[in-house]
Amino acid sequence: MISGKTSEKVEEYAFGGLVAAIGIFTLVDATTIAARADNAVGPRAFPYAVGALLVVTGVAAIVATARGRLGQAEEGEDVDSGVRTDWVTVGKLVAVLVAHLVLIGLVGWPVAAAVLFFGAAWTLGAVWWRALPIAVVLALVVQVVFAWGLGLSLPAGIFEGVPFLDG
Amino acid sequence: MDSITALLEGFATAAQPAYLLYALLGVTLGTAVGVLPGIGPAMTVALLLPLTYSLDPTAALIIFAGIYYGGMYGGSTTSILLNTPGESASIVTALEGNKMARAGRGAAALATAAIGSFVAGTIATVLLTLLAPAIADIAVTLGPADYVALMVVAFTTVAALLGSSPVRGLASLGLGLFIGLIGTDTLSGQQRFTLGVSTLADGIDVVVVAVGVFAVGEALYVASRLRHGPIEVIPVGGRWMTRSFWARSWKPWLRGTFIGFPIGTVPAGGADVSTFLSYAAEKKLSKRPEEFGHGAIEGVAGPEAANNAAAAGVLVPLLTLGLPTSATAAVIVAAFQSYGIQPGPLLFTNNSAMVWALIASLYIGNVMLLVLNLPLVKMWVKVLQIPRPYLYAGILLFAALGTYAVNFVVDDLIVLLVIGVAGFFMRRHGYPVAPLVVGLILGPMAEEQVRRTLQISEGSLSALVTSPFAAVAYGVLVVLLAVAVVVRLRQKKVESLV
Repeated sequence: MISGKTSEKVEEYAFGGLVAAIGIFTLVDATTIAARADNAVGPRAFPYAVGALLVVTGVAAIVATARGRLGQAEEGEDVDSGVRTDWVTVGKLVAVLVAHLVLIGLVGWPVAAAVLFFGAAWTLGAVWWRALPIAVVLALVVQVVFAWGLGLSLPAGIFEGVPFLDG
Repeated sequence: MDSITALLEGFATAAQPAYLLYALLGVTLGTAVGVLPGIGPAMTVALLLPLTYSLDPTAALIIFAGIYYGGMYGGSTTSILLNTPGESASIVTALEGNKMARAGRGAAALATAAIGSFVAGTIATVLLTLLAPAIADIAVTLGPADYVALMVVAFTTVAALLGSSPVRGLASLGLGLFIGLIGTDTLSGQQRFTLGVSTLADGIDVVVVAVGVFAVGEALYVASRLRHGPIEVIPVGGRWMTRSFWARSWKPWLRGTFIGFPIGTVPAGGADVSTFLSYAAEKKLSKRPEEFGHGAIEGVAGPEAANNAAAAGVLVPLLTLGLPTSATAAVIVAAFQSYGIQPGPLLFTNNSAMVWALIASLYIGNVMLLVLNLPLVKMWVKVLQIPRPYLYAGILLFAALGTYAVNFVVDDLIVLLVIGVAGFFMRRHGYPVAPLVVGLILGPMAEEQVRRTLQISEGSLSALVTSPFAAVAYGVLVVLLAVAVVVRLRQKKVESLV
């Protein structure tokens, strides 16, 4: 078990490394952009500059971390800076979002939206029998507003052909 | 006095019942998202973008301007009444306002914040009215090299001067610039960084990125350290406005306005810096410096006014040069662009009616906000108490909906999730998200101007700095960086004192 401080440092290194890696990718991939030779400033010049900026700042962030200057985690009204990171909750929320985007194509937007709202609220500590009806009503209301009010049709999925829900 | 006539015509437009309703909708939404933790004006404007395509541009921009101003008002209510520190621009308010509320003087704190915001917002809008056409006249004569210089100034100030770590700010800017590169190059028609994926060929939509970093990133971050238990709202106590309230408030309001507006106008650091400077000034000038840190009304009045004046000041470079210097301003630029309008010097000639209606709506919006935030403050206290699981579930739902509604393709949701997770880690490690959004929106514009400059000069790099205006801009940037170092030191001093 690594202590909180160490794991935070590892993450900092990883993020700085990721920034630098994106920079290297930018520099390498920029060489493959087709450009006419006669053109002094083609589509490659700016990507080179951006790639260089990313590499330099990524490395600088790693150096700063090594010197013990860690980034300050953002504060917020609902953020309890005293508690440890709850990775399980973050993982569940990501899973709920993935479920949402998969379900849209399978069963339509209303069901996918209800799953997203219910899943997220329940993950964050809402009582399930209160979250469930709110999720269903909210999803249906948005579907109707979109189909009838804005004239933009969200895929109705299993409600296809149902009046009001299928725009 | 052309602009006075134009402004009056603007009022005639903005006072039409439909536009008044849009303004009311905007300021109400703005106050709501300002009050609620976890949602900000930048994200709200981004979310509403796809939904407002059916409106005419004037109506949509009036809504967005209302959200922008309203967010500033709402934020102060939260920082005064909630027991936990709030968004960065109003942290100084949280210090004094929160102390006042705890001491049973919440009413006076709310009143000085709202009236101060109104006074500052109105004076700053007058200054905007007077300055903007004049600046636009000068801006018309600027060449591509001058724009490059202005964008370099904006990039540097937003990325390196704001936030606690210049390195991380610049890294965030770089990520934004990189996302802006993805897609088809407008000048040569070449695909860049698309990895052969067809969805990426058109580039990544600004809405998806803004919603990803703001909504999804924020929701995941808050969820990882959610404050559990009941939401403690300090009851509003004390008398609203006494004689001493006015006597102690009016000077800080004016001083805050004249500190905030210039700072907002020159892209030199945004609202944070202005609130800190105003706080320091009030503390220095106060006859009762010992009250600071224990609920001094001047410490609420000044910074709140400065905050709002800076927000109005940001609109000057936004409207006259097309330069956004904050995340919300960047999203508003994207909104203009989605209607095929490029904010900048030509805005006042090509879209004169629209821009003056917009400015007129700012005056009207300020009056609405004063009413919404003083007599109706109890309503916002209720909003503040929305149970957090539902609040963040709702944010995620509308983030997904707003993203999906851009193109109705599921691929955008995958991009949203990736950017949201990136935004989560950025928050954990002190990478500010505003430079990313500014870089994303200004990057493609900057590239175009650089290439245009070098095309005219046939590749000679010296063309970038030899124009007198550009040379002055780079000179000013150097001065700004020097001033920033001094301010940063002073800010640390203020922080250590309170």
